[in-house]
Amino acid sequence: MNFIGSIINTEFFIAAVRLSVPIILAAVAATICEKAGIINIAMEGMMLIGAFFAAWGAWLTGNPWIGLMFGIFAGTAMGLFHGWATIDLHMNHVVSGAVINILGFGITRYLMVLVFGHPGNSEQIPLSLAAFRFKIPLLNKIPFIGDILFNQTPIVYLTIVLLFVIQWVLKRSAFGLHLHAAGEHPEVLATLGISVKKIRYIAVGFSGTLCGIAGAFLSIENGLSFSEGMTSGRGFIALGANTAGGWSIIGSVIASLFFGAVDALALRIQVLNIFDIYSELFLIFPYVAALIAVGGLVFKSNPPKALGEDYQSE
Amino acid sequence: MKKVLFIFLALAVVCGGLFASGSQEKADSKPIIGMATDTNGLGDGSFNDGVYSGLKRAEDEGLIEIRLIEPTSMTDYVPNLSGLSEDGAGLIFATGFLFYDAVLEVSEHYPETVFAGIDLSFDPSTMPSNVIGITWKEQEASYLAGVVAGLMTDKYSNLSDKLNDKNVIGAVLGMDIPPVERYIVGFTQGAKSVNPDIEVLSVVTGTFTDQAKGKEAAIALSEQGADIVIQLAGLTGIGVFNAAQEKGFAAMGCDIDQSFLAKANTITSARKGISEATYLTIKNYLSGDLKSGSNSEFGLAEGAINLAPFNDFEDIIPLEVREAVEKAKAGILDGSINVYSTRAELGM
Repeated sequence: MNFIGSIINTEFFIAAVRLSVPIILAAVAATICEKAGIINIAMEGMMLIGAFFAAWGAWLTGNPWIGLMFGIFAGTAMGLFHGWATIDLHMNHVVSGAVINILGFGITRYLMVLVFGHPGNSEQIPLSLAAFRFKIPLLNKIPFIGDILFNQTPIVYLTIVLLFVIQWVLKRSAFGLHLHAAGEHPEVLATLGISVKKIRYIAVGFSGTLCGIAGAFLSIENGLSFSEGMTSGRGFIALGANTAGGWSIIGSVIASLFFGAVDALALRIQVLNIFDIYSELFLIFPYVAALIAVGGLVFKSNPPKALGEDYQSE
Repeated sequence: MKKVLFIFLALAVVCGGLFASGSQEKADSKPIIGMATDTNGLGDGSFNDGVYSGLKRAEDEGLIEIRLIEPTSMTDYVPNLSGLSEDGAGLIFATGFLFYDAVLEVSEHYPETVFAGIDLSFDPSTMPSNVIGITWKEQEASYLAGVVAGLMTDKYSNLSDKLNDKNVIGAVLGMDIPPVERYIVGFTQGAKSVNPDIEVLSVVTGTFTDQAKGKEAAIALSEQGADIVIQLAGLTGIGVFNAAQEKGFAAMGCDIDQSFLAKANTITSARKGISEATYLTIKNYLSGDLKSGSNSEFGLAEGAINLAPFNDFEDIIPLEVREAVEKAKAGILDGSINVYSTRAELGM
């Protein structure tokens, strides 16, 4: 009992949120993109590029907000690139995604040498977004939840706000309906005179935006510098979260929180040395969790019907 | 495959010949020392820069002429090493453990050239006579860091607001590979040598690139009372310094003086003198003392392992701690302290 008390405390949940935020953003990015019919496995590459540009912008200007803008811009550009490849060039979605993932590693390394003169770790940024941590009055007085959710850093708040907005747009707005239609029955959408191409471009571009924010979180809010490969597979975990969440925003968020919590838990169990087992076993915790979740134990999977199908308008 | 290799070598010979004829025109006849970086190239702030600065030191002293090559991919390793040999380099540094196969392959064709593999250790019974493996005794550096941590966390914890009264320190590890194991074993042994009751907690993150995970690991350690956390995790370890700044505990670095990552929180770093080891190898080569065909380990005795300066903690670290470090150094040098290199030896 003593062990449980020293593991599952407020600090644990705060850590779980910190570890979940980039996964949530990337998982929601995948959900939105795939709802519109475009398969997106490129979150890893988009996040990495977003992380680099955010660090670069923040280092260049000394202002992390401009860094965030850089990250968003770079992420969006990568999203639109994926859109261009899959929508206009009719490339296989998975192939394009794989290309972006590989490109993400290569291009950030190249830019590291170009901008900072060496690979590895970038110069530290003078000011990080974590310096703008603030409490939300009243709400932060709520016991337990207040400490976890309402004494946070900017991108965490931004994520919470975005989730509500996205959920509202998808469920309540005309645009949300069109987005669903683009992924389920694009030909129906076309007969209504709405451009499938436009809807899909917006979705895939916005998924890039979210990945850019996720990358910025890693490099300029949670950290102080960009380092090569710093996304460390979070984009792929997010892919799993989207699938396990059954292509719904709420499902994706819950699955991402679950993965973040498993990660935080694995670290704490290892520190306390409760079980006398090999440390390697702890390392596979998140992946085993992802495997079980994707195996369909959590949510019923129902991918959009036209997912990955090329749409050619006449 | 043989045919390809043949054409390859033929090309290398031709190219090498061209280079060689060019260099013959030079009047001075300083020995040529070659260096092939790994694909990271110079400016990585680690191995490649360390080896190069050792070479540079020898060149500045007028001892040698440097011939540098920076491969862009692993497939360049063999032709580049061959090219350097053809170029007349008597000693060639191959930087990084990915050179293992290339060194073995090329050394066969150029028996006159000595190939020094940085961070490479070869099987002594089968290794070619013109190859030398260079590794470090990381455990000696971390032993010294452990001595400092062991004393500071308990006896002198009132000297800094970064330290608490709990007798606990921590370590964040990357992948659990031999150099990392040597670091953690030495650190634990050093800490326990001055503070037998100390608790040394550690987390294996399994990655060398994940800052965020390194940060969470360090925070988890500090929650359990660790006030000094050493990073042994490459880029993952950068997160340890971020966490130390954010949560206000103390950190230690490894390989190089890492205090620039968190000035006010870094007590010291376990330094691995890559540049010193390179310089020493060159000196030995020039004087004919180089024992090729074997592995050489660089440690405190060779002056290639040390503790980085205390920097911001210079005024905080008391005399007793400094004396304990000196005593540990003396003990390692005269053999009265045997620093272990594996967990099994230490009984972890």
